[in-house]
Amino acid sequence: MPSREMTMAEALRDAMRLAMREDPRVFLLGEDIGIPGGFGGGFTVTLGLSEEFGHERVMDTPISEIAIVGAAVGAAMVGMRPIAEMQYGDFVFCAMDQVVNQAAKMRYMSNGQVSVPMVLRLPVGATRRGAQHAQSTEAYFMHTPGLKVVCPSNPYDAKGLLLAAIWDDDPVVFLEHKLLYGGKGGRKEKTSLDPVALVPEEAYTLPLGSLAIRREGTDITVLANMLMVHRAMQAAAELAQAGISAEVIDVRCLAPLDWDMLIASVRKTNRVLIVEEDNLTGGWGAEVAARLGELAFDHLDAPIRRIAAPDVPVPTAPALENAYLPHAERITEVVREMVGR
Amino acid sequence: MIFDVVMPALGATGGDVTIQEWLVQPGQRVEAGTPLVVVETDKATVEVEAFRAGYVRELLAKPGDAVSIGAVVARLTDSMEALTETPVAPLPSTRSTREHESTEVKASAGKLGVSKLPAKASASNRLIPDDATEISADLLLSMFRQMVLIRRFEDHLYQLFLQGLVPGTLHQSQGQEAIAVGVCAALRRDDVIFSTHRPVAHVIAKGGSVNAIAAELWGKATGCARGKGGQMHLTDVAVGVMPTNAIVGANVPIATGAALGFRLMGTDRVAVSFFGDGAVNTGAMHEGVNLAAVKDAPVIFVCENNQYAASTHISHNLRIATIAERAKAYGIPGFTVDGMDVVAVYESARAAVARARRGEGPTLLEYTCYRYMGHSRGDPGNYRSKQEMAEWRSRDPIPKCRALLLNDFGQDERTLDEIEAECQAEVEAAVAFAMSSHEPAPEEALRNAYTTWPEVFYAQP
Ligand SMILES: Cc1ncc(C[n+]2csc(CCOP(=O)(O)OP(=O)(O)O)c2C)c(N)n1
Ligand SMILES: [Mg+2]
Repeated sequence: MPSREMTMAEALRDAMRLAMREDPRVFLLGEDIGIPGGFGGGFTVTLGLSEEFGHERVMDTPISEIAIVGAAVGAAMVGMRPIAEMQYGDFVFCAMDQVVNQAAKMRYMSNGQVSVPMVLRLPVGATRRGAQHAQSTEAYFMHTPGLKVVCPSNPYDAKGLLLAAIWDDDPVVFLEHKLLYGGKGGRKEKTSLDPVALVPEEAYTLPLGSLAIRREGTDITVLANMLMVHRAMQAAAELAQAGISAEVIDVRCLAPLDWDMLIASVRKTNRVLIVEEDNLTGGWGAEVAARLGELAFDHLDAPIRRIAAPDVPVPTAPALENAYLPHAERITEVVREMVGR
Repeated sequence: MIFDVVMPALGATGGDVTIQEWLVQPGQRVEAGTPLVVVETDKATVEVEAFRAGYVRELLAKPGDAVSIGAVVARLTDSMEALTETPVAPLPSTRSTREHESTEVKASAGKLGVSKLPAKASASNRLIPDDATEISADLLLSMFRQMVLIRRFEDHLYQLFLQGLVPGTLHQSQGQEAIAVGVCAALRRDDVIFSTHRPVAHVIAKGGSVNAIAAELWGKATGCARGKGGQMHLTDVAVGVMPTNAIVGANVPIATGAALGFRLMGTDRVAVSFFGDGAVNTGAMHEGVNLAAVKDAPVIFVCENNQYAASTHISHNLRIATIAERAKAYGIPGFTVDGMDVVAVYESARAAVARARRGEGPTLLEYTCYRYMGHSRGDPGNYRSKQEMAEWRSRDPIPKCRALLLNDFGQDERTLDEIEAECQAEVEAAVAFAMSSHEPAPEEALRNAYTTWPEVFYAQP
């Protein structure tokens, strides 16, 4: 099938465009997403969509996070497939009731009489804007039964997983790392990585819950998501020079989570390092470590370790932000300690 | 009793004063001292206050009018009953009306009394729907039956609660039946309602099965949510009862979203959000109503003002005299209506529903009422006076409806007694059904959190 180089923002936009063409139930709502001459959402992802689909289906809302998520919940319950956007992932805390008490619990409380097929898109990650525009929020949602949680690291996965999220009948929290979007011009992030990938032009889905082995290895399993996948890959390349074979698994779906694949990797490597941008205490890595400890203890030759952000809010100054985020050097260092080489 | 509001001298020279702006609307409750109207004298602009508590019956002058000292400018009543014959206010019917309103707020305030209806206002602008011929005896009978069914059910539940036989919590709505019934009678089966922690009346009124509700209260497998919902979370999607919500205020934006969904699907279905006087101070309410307003969502916001949020009287929570006033801040119509009168509820709801179906946007309907029982199980309601309770009970919607049926609709006592007996039997059968149903299997607890969850990914240690 014909493919094209896309950034993550383009791939996400492409997914939404194809879904909206295919199904009139799909619509978008959020702040500044469709205003002519505007930005296409906080990070250009919805740029051009209101021109194609109109302002009813690319619905600009007041600055009302409760109403954005609440309206998505209500529309989803009566059969629509809304995609709601928070301008920054941190703002979802304004609407936590709607996510946790409403979207997540409706199906259960009604014994399956309703479901909530909505997607909630959250731009996350530290980008020199300070503590309230930076947090990685996945652990909150992974902890919440009723929600599915997706956190891609590249344009190909972003498109396939977003389409899967749109067609899924449950509420999906979809995290997008701001340093991976590939924004252009004024919307380009200073420290961004902006991966570009060949992405099929037609629609395709990747299974929700699936993980991806980014690099095969035998000495240690490194688990990472979003931006940290790229840092882990950088570290793995350096480690290879030193003769250490690291397997890097992109934990692109946190709920459901493919435990079988993780256990299979642990059986092979007998060591696990988890790398995450969210805070250490109660981060997604804590759950993964605990669960692998229970499910794969017999295959572990060393304690599972985690590299995460420290338990402080995200700082702003470049020097501080730099100190806060996990880096490839640190990954290399810890892997060497664990492998003993 | 009706009392005239007379233009006082205001220390002016004695000439005419000019009405600038009304601060109240017909139907609104006022206290002694509540500012009623802004007037301009030759010296200053002043507010004229109510000289006594009561309800605004009508406004007799409009902004811009010059009135002389001593002229009657408005009328108050001392009881809400007298308000049911109150002239109803026009609903702004089109976007252009509303835009007009926003530039001429002062002029619009004067148009609220029926006596001041602008000559070209069409019938569809009024709170009573255009096609409201007389309410039929059949409709009134069916509303009577539903109110009785709800009351009998709630009373029966209370007795069982006193005997320790109700397993979970209980939020009852005796006294508020007319609102649930009048509003739902104005809806179609394919319209949806979003209710609250106090949902039983709404669910029955929308056509939910009493058996399934009772069984849900008793946590049985035959309950409408197989025991995963409980008293505060009833659902019956087949009749348009969406999951009822125990987070105060939360259903306001949700109902707005459902309404937007209906419009996007190209249907004329509408959504109703029921909430209490306590909910109006939540952020969700503000965001939800405003979003509905700016998008002209086909949703009706139904506020059951039973005067209390748990133990807290509304006067502690609100600085304004009515909740309907809030509507003005969102640029939508808002009305205060007697919620103890099922006909008044039905007619006002029908007007709001018709407006929503015409694509003209949301309406805020405030229904004044009272909950006879405590807030929830075990609340003796010590924060309320006996006198207050007796006053409200004397306005009970059910005897009022019964009298109407007997006096104006040619029904006889026997027919109505039979209805009461049938409802009692239905209620007792439902509770017996609930109590004798079997409990859900423990595995049921694990079902239905997700629509799909890949089995292989269940890795429970
Ligand atoms: C967000 C939230 N805060 C507090 C409560 C606890 N609570 C349940 S009902 C209630 C009072 C609600 O009053 P009102 O909205 O007037 O409804 P009513 O009970 O009178 O029907 C309170 C405080 C809640 N359920 N949700
Ligand atoms: Mg109340």
